[in-house]
Amino acid sequence: MFEIYLPIAELSVNLLVILGMGGAVGFLSGMFGVGGGFLMTPLLIFSGIPPAVAVATEANQIVASSVSGSLAQWRRGNVDIKMGTVLLVGGIVGAVFGVQLVRVLRQLGQVDLIISLSYVTFLGIIGVLMLIESVRAIRRARAGGQVSMRRSGQHNWIHGLPFKMRFKHSKLYISALPPLLLGAFVGLLAAIMGVGGGFIMVPAMIYLLRMPTNVVVGTSLFQIIFVTAAVTVLHATTNKTVDVMLALILMIGGVIGAQFGARAGQYLKGEQLRALLAIMVLAVCLRLLFDLVIRPEELYSIGPALGGH
Amino acid sequence: MTLRALIIALAALFATSFCANAQETRVSAPKGQIIEKIESDLSSRRIEIESNFTGQQIVIFGTIENSKQSDFEPGLYDVVVVVKGPRDTIVARRKSKVAGIWINTRSLTLGNAPGYYAVLSRRDVHKIASDTVLNAYGLGFDAIGFRPIGKNVPALAAQGLSEFTDAVIRIMQREGLYIYDPDGVVFVGRNLFRATVNLPANVPIGNYATDVYLLRNGEVLSHNRSNLRITKAGFERFVYAAAFDYPLLYGIIAVIVAIVAGLAASAMTRRD
Repeated sequence: MFEIYLPIAELSVNLLVILGMGGAVGFLSGMFGVGGGFLMTPLLIFSGIPPAVAVATEANQIVASSVSGSLAQWRRGNVDIKMGTVLLVGGIVGAVFGVQLVRVLRQLGQVDLIISLSYVTFLGIIGVLMLIESVRAIRRARAGGQVSMRRSGQHNWIHGLPFKMRFKHSKLYISALPPLLLGAFVGLLAAIMGVGGGFIMVPAMIYLLRMPTNVVVGTSLFQIIFVTAAVTVLHATTNKTVDVMLALILMIGGVIGAQFGARAGQYLKGEQLRALLAIMVLAVCLRLLFDLVIRPEELYSIGPALGGH
Repeated sequence: MTLRALIIALAALFATSFCANAQETRVSAPKGQIIEKIESDLSSRRIEIESNFTGQQIVIFGTIENSKQSDFEPGLYDVVVVVKGPRDTIVARRKSKVAGIWINTRSLTLGNAPGYYAVLSRRDVHKIASDTVLNAYGLGFDAIGFRPIGKNVPALAAQGLSEFTDAVIRIMQREGLYIYDPDGVVFVGRNLFRATVNLPANVPIGNYATDVYLLRNGEVLSHNRSNLRITKAGFERFVYAAAFDYPLLYGIIAVIVAIVAGLAASAMTRRD
């Protein structure tokens, strides 16, 4: 009775299952303060949604979560609009390229593979790094030491690049090239993986661009709105893979889940939370890797003939 | 069973009245002889897929006119029912292990592939008629009529081609989109028959043709066609049509929906 037909994914799913998935990922993103796209897209793929539809639809959902996230940051004055604009200019270029890449890969029948491989690579690297970092932090906390933050201010190779711009809000005077390239790379990932890309953007802003940590999350979320909006429109026009129905269910689940997640997160320790998230990220990574490595029961597959000739 | 009674009554009605919607073709008619003729219809001619669509059964029923059969058992006649969905071009791909992972390496484009294909009969179609007859009328999986397209067709030996078409049939059968039921046609009287066929949740939309063939001694005596239309209805049809007919508008609306959802979520969070 809760079966619902998704018009673009072209399959029937259980409304409660999808709502629950949106809620669970929303809970995690509320608890850990992460976007959740990198968990949601694989979950959608595991539940039988065609990967290209999962990616485009998830980009649509991230527009919603980044709007609500960045509004909260905006009220606290934590958004560097100028930096965000430079990032999103690069991001849109990356998104255009990424969506075209998806189109070509679909024609070649390799889009599922490339989406899976991208996920295995990024989830693997991020999961391992997070796990190492959080285990170290837990050990340090047990030893009674102070958790020290790396301080910015030192010059690196980035300061030697041309086209310098002044970013007042971030108190930076740096070349526009690194943020443009960073934006383009994250835009590409958004188009291929259906992620906001905060997991790349935030560390890169802190360690590469040396932005003050207080504006990092707000600025990242600000540019994610526009980049994922662009990805949504581009996928809709180029690949026709955005399922509004699915996105809407995920948004509703995600909003409810995030509310509870944010509250639950207040009662748990940061390092342990990160270790938990790292383990989940690695589990998803292994599952995707497993599906690539194990001999499939059916070697053949059928797809629609897409343009080309 | 009331449904069964209804079907029999309907079939009887069609036996005596002119079948308005169905097209009929008399296949062979020797002069001066009363020839058997088949009449048939469907339980529904139009199916609308809505959000709660989980599949549907349709009943094909009909009668043999001028039947020389004394009762329903002896099997003087064979009735073969073929339900065909819209034909499209598809790509079949085969995975191979490359550097430890399974990758699509070979592919074959197949034109003329029906999105749905069901064959129902009283016994194995190969026992009913020769391959020539089966191929001529498109009866059975061996007579679907895939048309391989592209440069790699000559490179694939006949064996390679059939490997791909067999795989397509296998996958489509698993999805419930290709059906072969050699016990699917049931005679319910001296000359009444019915066949029940399942349309799964993932049934493609479009125009379907339901062909009913009357055979005797391996020859097609009569053929009758009814049309079936499967459409998406309600909100689904609207979404699907918008996505394909107005993709830019659709994409922009998708973004607006997300922004509104985000603002609503933000307003909710602020309250508490």
